Amino acid sequence: MFVSMFTSYPRTLVVVAALVMMLVLIYGGITEAVYPMLLSVFEWLETTWFGVIGKTWGAAFAFVEAVHLLGLALLGGCVLAGDGRLLGLVLTDVPVNTVVERTHRVFVYGLVICLATGIFMACGVATKIYYLSVYWFKMLALSAGILFHFQIRKPLLSHDIHALNPVVVKMVGVASILVWFMVAATGRWIGFSG
Amino acid sequence: MADESKSKNRGALKRKDDQTAALIVAQAFIVFSAIYWFMQIESVRELLQLAYG
Repeated sequence: MFVSMFTSYPRTLVVVAALVMMLVLIYGGITEAVYPMLLSVFEWLETTWFGVIGKTWGAAFAFVEAVHLLGLALLGGCVLAGDGRLLGLVLTDVPVNTVVERTHRVFVYGLVICLATGIFMACGVATKIYYLSVYWFKMLALSAGILFHFQIRKPLLSHDIHALNPVVVKMVGVASILVWFMVAATGRWIGFSG
Repeated sequence: MADESKSKNRGALKRKDDQTAALIVAQAFIVFSAIYWFMQIESVRELLQLAYG
């Protein structure tokens, strides 16, 4: 029976296993064990070219941060348009598949811009963010958002949307907006912490 | 004919799997977000109460 369930619902089982593993990582004391070991990595990040430029040349940091925010605007716009369409709130005169496909393409550009500029910015303030719990929370939300977008939302919406349960589609839209809102909010929070 | 039916069945099964996975993750995100932001709002409310009574 277990084998048949595994072959019939592989994605569901992986999702449940990932959620359980995340809880074990958080509450099982593993994060506390790994956390001190990461300090040397963050100290090293500040000594890299990115770190030195980010720390000593304010204009460079400000420029990259501006690009980061533009990337975030691009990403957020795609999330609002794509998920807003799934919820039936915006662009209702355009077919769902068209909106979802096109916003996904631009979403990837936004995500790449945010990741590239985010790495640079993190290097400049590495030892500061290491001690901020909100930074780790943002990384958790970002990882969850990326995995959710590419491993859950995209495969689901690759099916005929009209054949899917509308409640599930709407819940995916709400969850997607929430997770990216969390990424954006915690990202701004870093700027006001420490 | 049998192949077509098998492939259709496989497609339906995959759709069901994707939907179940999406439902579980979406529920987890929504519940977690609701609890997290409720706690944040409560902590700000308590701080404001401490500061201004």
